[in-house]
Amino acid sequence: MPDPVLHLKAVCAAAGASALVVLALGWRRRICCAGRPVSTTRVNFACVLAIGIGLALGSQMLQLPLDWPPASGLGRLLTIVMPAAIVIELVAGFHRVPRWLAWSLRMGLAAAIGRVLLHGSVYLAGSPGQWTTWQAGIALAVSGALLAAQWGLLIWLSEHRWGVSMPQATSVTLALSLAGLCGGITVMMAGYVSGGEAAVPPAAALVGATVGASLIAARGGEQGAIGIGVVGLFGLLFIGRFFGGLTTGRALTVFLAPLMCWATELPMLRGRKPWRVCGLRMALVAIPLVVVLALAKRDFDREMRPLLGAVQIAAKNGPSHPRRPAEKTGWQDEQDRI
Amino acid sequence: MHRVFTACVMTVVVGIGLVTAGKPATAADEYTFDLVHSSVSFKARHLDISWIHGRFNQVEGKYSLDRDDAAKSTFELSIKADSIDTANAARDEHLRQPDYFDTKQFPTIDFKSTSVKAVKGGYEVTGDFTMHGKTKKITFALQGGKEVEFMGTKRTGFSTELKLKRSDFGFDKKNIGLIGDEALIMIDFEGTRKE
Repeated sequence: MPDPVLHLKAVCAAAGASALVVLALGWRRRICCAGRPVSTTRVNFACVLAIGIGLALGSQMLQLPLDWPPASGLGRLLTIVMPAAIVIELVAGFHRVPRWLAWSLRMGLAAAIGRVLLHGSVYLAGSPGQWTTWQAGIALAVSGALLAAQWGLLIWLSEHRWGVSMPQATSVTLALSLAGLCGGITVMMAGYVSGGEAAVPPAAALVGATVGASLIAARGGEQGAIGIGVVGLFGLLFIGRFFGGLTTGRALTVFLAPLMCWATELPMLRGRKPWRVCGLRMALVAIPLVVVLALAKRDFDREMRPLLGAVQIAAKNGPSHPRRPAEKTGWQDEQDRI
Repeated sequence: MHRVFTACVMTVVVGIGLVTAGKPATAADEYTFDLVHSSVSFKARHLDISWIHGRFNQVEGKYSLDRDDAAKSTFELSIKADSIDTANAARDEHLRQPDYFDTKQFPTIDFKSTSVKAVKGGYEVTGDFTMHGKTKKITFALQGGKEVEFMGTKRTGFSTELKLKRSDFGFDKKNIGLIGDEALIMIDFEGTRKE
């Protein structure tokens, strides 16, 4: 059973810690440099480090599986994928690192994430009734391409009009945070509680770092935050889909929802005041997320709530186990869920 | 005289050879699980007031019995975790998820014996029990072993009950509470002998 009080504590700890780290590093630099703006490299470093610290603290508080070697998909997300994203964004944030190298690292991670998360699972075992090598290859390639495209589009949007005010620049990060929280709740309501809980620390840390950067009016931390946010969101939905009960449609909707931020680039909305654009982006991103949450709640009430003993279980769910036909392959099973 | 001696020695050697060849190198009889007459069921405490019952519908296994030297006997069991059945489809789906059995990551629950000794009424079996990716050595008493012939097939049967703690096998401790940590597993199986 999820513990809302513990979740709230984890949110406060992750957001608070990451905001404090950004503020501490930013202000220290401002004092040292007599009030000059903090360099983007330094802001990126502070933001990425802050998100990493917030993520670790929140995960620790929620007792998420951080053991080594990781045994589950969630364990691999927290101990391999997220640290890799943090390291890549730290490296990519340095001015001296060429852009092509930064993007090569990001694309490499995007290509590897699916394979890492599915390691040792039935999907890659090649056992009868499961995916063939080709099917596994196609699934991993498609998911990797989707992540790479989302990552590129969001960073492009954040850079699109460099020089616009803070709200527009940070709205992408906040949209990712919103999608992450929604994804976490959806995964939880589909029956995978610890998987859904894993959304809390990164979402809170993203908000904390963004707020911290806003308070010192520093720009340049968006790319790192977006990278970690996109990877975290993808990883959460991926394990929710392949290990939990999340459907493909809902996973895709939540994953692609932050792209609604692009709608404000339409000619009729482009010239609006920055805060209005930020608010509009949040509202647009929230629309598909609210629909997904409503559907998840409906399914939860229908299937999971009776398990908590509110009503007669047998009467609600039928007397017995309509198991899937044994001859169905794993691939067909996946298609059914789509 | 030499020829007579040679003939005697040859007779003894050939005789020993024939006697040895008539008996297999090992006296163990091989059995495979008869799934129609085998079951693996369990029960766990709910809210510490009552019990939830369930079973695994897909089980396979084999064993060999050496009636003369029990230490040479072996037992193997593999349970498909995905086949969990608690008579409630939604609960079964929930139990397959990573908060419980994580069947996509850990598709089977396996047991392989490492030592067997004869005890009154059956065998005491020690072996590696792997569930949820964690392996622990367990020991339990298998009751039974009587061989009968039915419809031309020789078969034996065994029963056992064992207690396991989910927390010992890496189950998420946060999900221990509503459903108790300790589970009682009842295994009953029949095996048909390979001729």
